[in-house]
Amino acid sequence: MKFRKVGIANRGEVAVRIIRACQELGLQTVLFHSTPDVNTRAYRMADVTEEIGGGPSQESYLSIDANIQAAIRSGVDAVHPGFGFLSENPEFARACEKNGITFIGPSSDAIRLFGDKISAKELVERLQAPLIPGYKGEDQTLERLTREAEGIGYPVMVKAAAGGGGRGLKIIREASQAKEMIESAQREGLSAFGSSKVFLEKYIEAAKHIEVQIFGDAAGKVHSLFERECSVQRRHQKIIEESLSPSLTEALREKISKTAVMIAEAAQYKGAGTVEFLLEGDRFYFMEMNTRLQVEHPVTEMVLGVDLVKAQILTAMDEPLLWWEDLRPRGHAIECRLYAEDPYMNGVPSTGLLGFCSFPEGPFRRFEVGFEEGDEITSFYDSMIAKIIVWDESRTRAIQKMEQTLKDTVVFGVKTNIPLLLKILSHEEFIRGTMTTRFFETHFSKGLKTIELTPAEKEAALSWGRALSEEHKTSSSNVSAAPNPWTYDWSSR
Amino acid sequence: MMKWLTVDWHSEKVKVPVQKIKGKLWFHVDGETHSLEIPSGRKKDSQGGGHKNGEITAPMPGKILKVFASAGQKVTQGQPLIAMEAMKMEYTLEADIDGTLKELNVQVGDQVALGQHLAKVEEA
Repeated sequence: MKFRKVGIANRGEVAVRIIRACQELGLQTVLFHSTPDVNTRAYRMADVTEEIGGGPSQESYLSIDANIQAAIRSGVDAVHPGFGFLSENPEFARACEKNGITFIGPSSDAIRLFGDKISAKELVERLQAPLIPGYKGEDQTLERLTREAEGIGYPVMVKAAAGGGGRGLKIIREASQAKEMIESAQREGLSAFGSSKVFLEKYIEAAKHIEVQIFGDAAGKVHSLFERECSVQRRHQKIIEESLSPSLTEALREKISKTAVMIAEAAQYKGAGTVEFLLEGDRFYFMEMNTRLQVEHPVTEMVLGVDLVKAQILTAMDEPLLWWEDLRPRGHAIECRLYAEDPYMNGVPSTGLLGFCSFPEGPFRRFEVGFEEGDEITSFYDSMIAKIIVWDESRTRAIQKMEQTLKDTVVFGVKTNIPLLLKILSHEEFIRGTMTTRFFETHFSKGLKTIELTPAEKEAALSWGRALSEEHKTSSSNVSAAPNPWTYDWSSR
Repeated sequence: MMKWLTVDWHSEKVKVPVQKIKGKLWFHVDGETHSLEIPSGRKKDSQGGGHKNGEITAPMPGKILKVFASAGQKVTQGQPLIAMEAMKMEYTLEADIDGTLKELNVQVGDQVALGQHLAKVEEA
């Protein structure tokens, strides 16, 4: 079935990414947006816009009803959910299906299967794929849970069954903490996800986060698009991702890819999905499967030369893809997530009006940007404002290119984590490629030390500011001012 | 408005983008972006938010927690007028001049936008 109009149930840079893909395929776009998001790039780019509610996500981007109403009102054939928000909500996928709107993603059954961490693990166990030792039984009494934790051996992770994003997740380091941690995870699970069900898992101290991009095409075949490494994480949130991983041998790469494909095939998976693993030495364990496009999908696109968003849309239209015959990775790609935050205040979000922004183009530099000068970064949403992706012939060169790209990037009006990203990229453990998911916590949890400008530097900068005001005056009143000794403006010459 | 200026920086001539936004000076030099508070009182510059004029505006988007004064009341410089919460942090907004609280446009519980006009003190 060919689409004519596609709804976008998301915001920011991913909405821009989806609009571009639709436009290239000749499809009309309808952006479902919250009230404050009229000041975003996606709003300006979409062919049609439908307001779905107020700033808080619950009133807009998380409201199934508001999104379905907008989809019906605007007469879209399909909805792309992006990532986050409703992208992994089986009720939303089902509501689309019921209203005759194609949900661009897997079936609601597949979302439900992998969304419940326990049913996902049962599937993986049946397939005899490697799982971290743990307990996921129905007996949720404190006695049973603590006994199981003892059996697994500390440290043990207790995790809300319906959890995600690090919420409802605790690490029990010794027996004396068990009761308190289990109860706390149950409480958090209940308040955040409506279910107090938890499972236990051996906590692996120093592992790498490796994930395999898989894709189920319209004909029902599941393909592996190789792996990404996302070990640089802060509080379970990824900051820097790359493809391929510097840690896999060819043999291991093949093995982990095959495992990922097998898991997706067992669920008759259609569309883009990601199977996440923990890698410790040369052993890997299944963690979870994400049934959506990932934030970090561009690094896979860069090393393979594919367009995953277009592939999602084409597959949803039952069209075949062209790129399966020759999927061979070339070179290395790295992505840095640009967060509006103060790196010198331990990452406190920074909100405000965006001033001048410059994302310096260059060969194999890619910028996924959701906001422009004059837009406001509000406190309603995630603070990620852009992604910077580079490709180069080797990992070393890709790191060098990323460093230069970040140094050339200018964002005024809100603070960004660029200084932190630069510190990570130049850390010897990152350069060696041996970082684990503990890397950030070990080296950067204290935050960066403020780099104070010297009094002379400050004085110089303030004089530039005064020069800006002077110029304002001289151009509007006709008073000739003496040439400023500090500055002259080359752009007016 | 952003301007590119050619300036002396550590005895080198460099081109630097410079922009004033809400009382702060932003510039990018040596691969780093900086922002500096522009000292107030030096100039009557209507661009800067740092000068004292009795206008109380929201420094961040957030929620009004408390209102300490009522319209018509005499207030002194430094007197707390409004407490607001933004991103889980609490801020107190004070009168910046002595005078009379002429306008009070918010009440407890209101959601306010960045830069929104909240109150005005008229000089005594």
